[in-house]
Amino acid sequence: MLTAALLMVTGASFADDAAAAAKSLSVHTFTFKYKDADKAAAMIKPLLSAEGSMSIQPSTNALVVTDRTENLRAITKTLTEFDAAPQAFRLVVRLVAASRVEGNPPKVADELRDIAPKLAMLRFNSLEDLGSADVVGREGDPGIVTLPSGYRADFKFGEYDPASDSIKVSDFHLSKLQSEQLTSLLKTTLNLRIGQTYIVGATKAPQSQRALMIVLVARK
Amino acid sequence: MIACQSFRANLQSREPEVLEHLRKCDACLDFAVRKDPDLFFRAIGGEELVPPGGIDAFAADVMAQVRLRQAEGSVARRFLVPPRRLAAAAALIVAVGISALVYDGGRRTVAVRPVSVATFKPLTTKPVVETYQSPNATIVEVPSEGKGEAQVVMIFDDSLPADL
Repeated sequence: MLTAALLMVTGASFADDAAAAAKSLSVHTFTFKYKDADKAAAMIKPLLSAEGSMSIQPSTNALVVTDRTENLRAITKTLTEFDAAPQAFRLVVRLVAASRVEGNPPKVADELRDIAPKLAMLRFNSLEDLGSADVVGREGDPGIVTLPSGYRADFKFGEYDPASDSIKVSDFHLSKLQSEQLTSLLKTTLNLRIGQTYIVGATKAPQSQRALMIVLVARK
Repeated sequence: MIACQSFRANLQSREPEVLEHLRKCDACLDFAVRKDPDLFFRAIGGEELVPPGGIDAFAADVMAQVRLRQAEGSVARRFLVPPRRLAAAAALIVAVGISALVYDGGRRTVAVRPVSVATFKPLTTKPVVETYQSPNATIVEVPSEGKGEAQVVMIFDDSLPADL
């Protein structure tokens, strides 16, 4: 009974606060210069309170948000950061052919020593450098890597996500020139944390004796 | 809904129609509160607020907590709050609570809205491979062992050519 009475008292005082907050709803229109309003809407959806609402105006690329004043403050901050000018990034792409050989493996080239221990854990003990390239571009720009070994990668610099400090590399399409014809190998979309080295290996099966390693690093 | 006269003649009744009238008629609510404040507590569902295991178990649990706190207090500090004072404080809280309920009789809304609180957020983690062409492929992301370590992601796809 004591607990019940205390809960009632607390509940009643909270109800007063909620009623007062509902009365202080404000409307704010956000017009975006660099980013799409629909993407902004998806981004702030979790930030809206129960009383909050929003509508997209595609013709002006704007978002009309109605919510409590304190919530609008947080939403404004998020959207201001979101609608930043496209940032420039550098993507380093390296291709390495990895294979498992019996007996004494060949010596690892100096330029592959940084990734050799990781690949050795996967029992790939023979590595061949297939070339590398640096591509610089802004968010939304396309990127192309063409290597003398015949490999080619087409991709798009996607959006930078501050929450995960990562950039999306969209539609990364790897192909290989064979008999003067490009053969598609794989197509993927990747999220790369800035400064982190990723070794993306592609092979038919875990027991395959050969794999193609795509080594990627994105930098600002 | 029953008439106000019927309600006022059957104030002590716990029939559903009496409580329904209490919930809907403000004049009778004021009347009932003046006559018997406990009616209001019943009207807002107070009877359903029986602790799990029953009141006896709840009371025993509370007393066990009181004894535990007493034992802790005797070790940690020397000035112990006497149980009588605890009982008096509890009675005071109950009295204040009931008074507040009676005073707040006109307002029935007890909905509590969640309040958003700004908190520090660490970096979120996204999957490295967000999409891949083949739905039958197996993608294994090996977590990196530390900062600065390369992260390995393996794509096993039977549709890939053997001479990659």
